[in-house]
Order: sequence, then C-alpha cells, then structure tokens
Amino acid sequence: MTFGVLLLIIVAIAAAGYVLGRQRARNASGGDTRRLHSLTGYHGQSVMLFSAVPALLLLGLWLLLQPMLIENRVAGMIQPGDIPEGGSAELVMSDVRRVADGLDLVVAQGALNESDLAAMRADLTNVRSRLAEVGVAVGSEISPNVFQAAKEYRRLDTRFGTAMTIAVIAVALAGFALSLRRITPEYRARNVSEGFVLTLFIASSLVAILTTFGIVASLLVESVHFFQLYPAKDFFLSLTWNPQFRGGSDLGIWPLLWGTLYVSFVALLFAVPVGLMSAIYLSEYASKRLRSLAKPAIEILAGIPTIVYGLFALVTVGPFLRDYFAQPMGLGSSSSSVMTAGLVMGIMLIPFVSSLSDDIINAVPQSLRDGSYGLGATQSETVRQVILPAALPGIVGAILLAASRAIGETMIVVMGAGAAAKLDINPFEAMTTITVKIVSQLTGDTEFASPETLVAFALGMCLFVFTLGLNIVALYVVRKYREQYE
Amino acid sequence: MNDMRLTEKSVEANDTKISARGVQVYYGDTHAIKDVDVDIADQTVTAFIGPSGCGKSTFLRCLNRMNDTIDVCRVEGNIKLDGDDIYDKRVDPVQLRAKVGMVFQKPNPFPKSIYDNVAYGPRIHGLTRSKAELDEVVEKSLRRAALWNEVKDRLQAPGTGLSGGQQQRLCIARAVATSPEVLLMDEPCSALDPIATAQVEELIDELRSRFAVIIVTHSMQQAARVSQRTAFFHLGNLVEFGETGQIFTNPSDPRTESYITGRIG
Repeated sequence: MTFGVLLLIIVAIAAAGYVLGRQRARNASGGDTRRLHSLTGYHGQSVMLFSAVPALLLLGLWLLLQPMLIENRVAGMIQPGDIPEGGSAELVMSDVRRVADGLDLVVAQGALNESDLAAMRADLTNVRSRLAEVGVAVGSEISPNVFQAAKEYRRLDTRFGTAMTIAVIAVALAGFALSLRRITPEYRARNVSEGFVLTLFIASSLVAILTTFGIVASLLVESVHFFQLYPAKDFFLSLTWNPQFRGGSDLGIWPLLWGTLYVSFVALLFAVPVGLMSAIYLSEYASKRLRSLAKPAIEILAGIPTIVYGLFALVTVGPFLRDYFAQPMGLGSSSSSVMTAGLVMGIMLIPFVSSLSDDIINAVPQSLRDGSYGLGATQSETVRQVILPAALPGIVGAILLAASRAIGETMIVVMGAGAAAKLDINPFEAMTTITVKIVSQLTGDTEFASPETLVAFALGMCLFVFTLGLNIVALYVVRKYREQYE
Repeated sequence: MNDMRLTEKSVEANDTKISARGVQVYYGDTHAIKDVDVDIADQTVTAFIGPSGCGKSTFLRCLNRMNDTIDVCRVEGNIKLDGDDIYDKRVDPVQLRAKVGMVFQKPNPFPKSIYDNVAYGPRIHGLTRSKAELDEVVEKSLRRAALWNEVKDRLQAPGTGLSGGQQQRLCIARAVATSPEVLLMDEPCSALDPIATAQVEELIDELRSRFAVIIVTHSMQQAARVSQRTAFFHLGNLVEFGETGQIFTNPSDPRTESYITGRIG
C-alpha cells in the first residue's frame, strides 16, 4: 500500500470521527445540547484529533526510523572486500540502495517476476545490463554480496512497509474508538481541542528557535574542527589572508574583517544621511498624496535582488568611479573597489533607513509639533530640535539594522569590491569581505576536512556573533524608545 | 450659581488687543465657525465656554494661525492683532506665534531637560545674548509659572519625568519665556487634579497683568473664577459675549442661560 493511500485512509477515519463524535455528543445530551459542557463541534474535533494526530505522528516517526533500521541490518552483509580501493562503506551502501530501487523498477515493468528474482544470482546473470535496460545506471560491476544485500534490502523494505500500514491504521482506529467512547455531557471537549491548538502554536514557534540553535550548533562544531587543525591565535591575530590548497596557508581574519567594516562603513556613510533626509521630507514636508506615491517607490529599492545591484556595480558604478575619480586622482585603476561596493550597497540600504525612520518620525506625537509651532518655531526648527531628538533612539535602531544587513551582504561585494583580501585605507582599492571569502572557500572541488575549507565556518561564526551583537543592541535601543510615549 | 460676587469685579476699559470680524472656518465641507465677531481686551482674561464641538478651540487656534497646519482647514474673515491683519500675506505665521503663545490641553513637554524646555523659545527667537541672560529668563519664567521651587535643583532632569500638573506648569513657563503679548490656553486644566488646577488658575490671574489671556474651558466655575469677560459659543455661533459677571448672573440669550444652568451641553 502506498503512502498516499495510507494518508487518505487516516483522513477518512478522522473525518468519520468528526461526524460520529458530533452525533454521539448530540445523543448523549438527550436532545438538549445545552446540557453538554462543550458544543457538539468540539466533541467532533476531539475525536478527529485523537484519530489523526497519534497515527500521523507514528507514521512520521516510522518513515524516519525505517531506513536507518534496514540499513543497519543490511550493512552487516557487506564484507570489507566489497569496498573498492579509495571508496567507503557509505558509497557501497548507496550502490545497494540504487540496485534495490532498480530491481523494484524491473519487477514493476514486468521484465521479471518475484520468484525469478529470488533465484537470480549476480555471479550468473549480468545484473548491470538488466538494470541498464530499465534505465538505472550502476557505476561498476555488481558484486554478489552487494546484490544479495540489495535483495535483502527489498525484502525488509516490503515487510516494514506492511507493518507500518497495519500499525498506523490500528493506532488511528484505537484513537477513534477510545475518544468516541469518552464522550459524555461532562466531557470537556473544548478544552481538549483548544489545548491541541495551543500545542500547535508552541510547536510552530519552537521550529524557528530550534532552527537557530541548529544553525549555531553546526557552525560551532565545524569551527571547533577548524581550530583543532589551525591555531586560533593565528586566525585572530594574523594580518595576512593567503589560503594555499597545498597547505601552509595564512588564514588571518583581519584583512577580511577590515574589508567588511570598510565596505559597510562606506555604505552607511551614504545610506544614513540620504535615507534620513528623505524620511524627514516624506514625513514632515511632503503632501499626503506625494507621500503615498513616493514611499512605495523608495521601498521598491528594497525589493531589487542584490545580484542586480551587483551587476549595476560591475558595469556602471565601478567603471564610472574608476574613470572619473580614481584614475584622475591617481588612486588606482581598478573598477572593483570598496567605494563601488559601498556606494551600491548604500543605495540598497536607503529604503531600510528611510522607511523605518519615516515610521518612527510619524510616531512622534502631534502634540509635540503643536507645542513647538505654538512657540513660534519654524518647521525646520521643529524637526531639528524636537522631532529628531525625540525619534533619535528609534532612528539609531534603524541604522543598526541597516548595518547588520550591510555586514552580511555578499553579492554586491563579490561584483563590486573584488576578491582580493587586503589591508588598505585607499577606498579605490579592491578589497573583500568575510561573506565573499566564505563563499569562495566552500565552492569548488575541495576536500571538506582541510583548514582552508573549514575556515569558512569559523568566519561564519564570527560574522554571526558580530551581527547578533548588533541586532541585540538595535533591539535594546528600539525597545527603550517604545517606552518613551504612552 | 455660587459666584454672585463676580458682579463686583472691576473690569477696566482696556485697549482692544485682538479684534475679529466675520470669521468663518471650514473643515472641508463642514462649516465649523459661523460669522464670529469678538474684541479681546488687553490685560484681561477672556474665557470661551460652550458645549463640546461648538468651535471654541477652533476659533482659539485661528488667533495664532495654528489651523494653518491642518490641510483641510480654511479661515475667512478678518482678525486683527493691534490693528494688523494676521492673515495678511506679508505676515509670517512663525513670527505671529512668537507674539501669540499657546498652552495646550494635554501637557506636551519636549523630551528634553526642564531647562531646555523653557529655553526653547528664547533660543529659537534669539531673545538672549548670553548664557547668564538665558538662565535669568528661565528662572523668571519658572517662577512666574510657580514651578521654580519644585524644580530648581533638577533643571537638567527630563521634563517628561514631572507630574502632570508640573508638566502643564512647565508648558506655561515655556510659553511665558517667549514673552508673548497674548497667551492662548486650550483647556489647560482638563488633565490636572484640583490642587494643580488651583495653582494654574492663580497663575492665570497673575499673567493677566502682562498679557491678554484667552482660555477655553469646559468648567463654568473655572470661567467664572478666572475670567473678566466670557464668550459663549454654541454650534459654531458666538451666542453671547460680555462681562463674566453679566453672563453668569444675567444672560441675555436663553441658550446661554440653559447652558450655564446645565440644561444644554
């Protein structure tokens, strides 16, 4: 029986449970449903939940555990001699799985029946060509042990599948019968179904939290691997970044950290004044009509994919800065530069700063504006002396959020600032950032156990700690701001 | 009413500070103020009374052009301050508001220190030449608002940390520090407890020696206590305007009588 059919059966049992549960509750009330603790619908829901949820949980758990169990059993049949030179047991096991899948196909297409298959032996039949006929390609000749393992794999798979179907349907029916029998006028079905909904909410919020923990944990584990292979002192104190895939690399974080901070700084230097001033214009001076048009227009910037910004940096801004600024001033001849990436990233950040600041400035109470105007202040005096100081904590929060966005940006830097890790103060020089180096260390045909690849995780960890810190500061500032007005 | 003594209050014949003729105010299509004529005397407290929504606050805000900040609001008619039309094109509303100060219904101190709140007006108008002079203005204004003794030791503390009554007196000090000629007060005591109200009322009486004060109030007792002249608004019309004692003891219009005896409102 296939998975889909099984799922349908569970849904059918649950649906029947809903209908019968309601029916039974109505009967139990003796015609006056007000005697029931809960509405009949809740009784129906409780039967439905008890039928479906435990069965589905079992199904999920089973599907998770079955491959592990089968693999454990089958792995015993593979002899050390079956593992080719330079391969691993895992590769052979994946061969076993593919052969088993192939055999399933052969049987399904009617080229063989089950009894023929049971008699078939790898040393007598050319299994490889048989499998090729149904479109399953196997890399090397199939050894007898692998073939036997594959047959065993198939057998166990079928047997476990049947067991699962029976167990799941049994659980569904048991839940159905038990919960149906429990229905009495006093039964608190509403609390049961509300409790279930609550559990669902908690589980959903746990998904996000646990994922964060999972990401941090995986980063941590790999970072620890890295520091076992490469001294932490060199990583944190060395001023050179020079990975060599033959070994003997210099993996100092400083050139990358410097590049990251430099590009982000240039970006914020551009985005903060422009964003803030456009926010002031939109919230204080622009007419309602203009604001309703201009604000979404600025927010469109936030929707442009960063790779498109990268293209813009590569073909427009980079050459422009080189031809009109860097070369005439004698500061370099590279079109990839900190300035290019910073400027384009600044454009990307404008909507972050302006949109958030605009909301924050709008939240400043009108009474403060009135108070200032009532004293004979002009609009710009009011903005400078009353509104901006009042909105300042919120604006700082907006800037910090933009900053953590800038630090994590990759695409614009790859295309705008280049990939040369350098410690330099000339903004027209190519430099690179942590994120770019993470990408370049992990892409390509590299072994996953050398410090040159694992350094990516240590870099990621540093970046994570950095942006987490910024976010915490931003949250703290924003929260403090919220307390300012009632 | 319990304020019969009001008839004895002397009302000097002061010069007219503000004269309004045929004032109409529209909010979009709503006709909020209908043909109001009023003369506000200098060094006098004038009270505007009337039921909610009758237009008294709207009219008050016409006198320093605060309605300019509301897009849909349109003012017609003629309002003169010392004989000059305040809606004339040559008049800068900002300068007008320096002369016609305003205190609002809800205390609205700026999120700055007490000192900076009071010094705000003098600073933006460049009224003082030295720090010492500014200190003096701040102290004088706070004293006049009867707040000095409570805050003199914490002038650098935030103004928002004061109690509601103190905040409102701070706002009055802030308005006084700009040395206006007219002070508009829009229900200045509605957010205050009786003790703070008494302090503010006392203050209003003292301010009268220097400015023309116009106060909008919902409390008829308050109007009777602090004002020399009273205007009664109803549904956007100025129903009756005269000496406070006259209005409260012997109103000429039946609507005024109904309102002050509590039958309409």
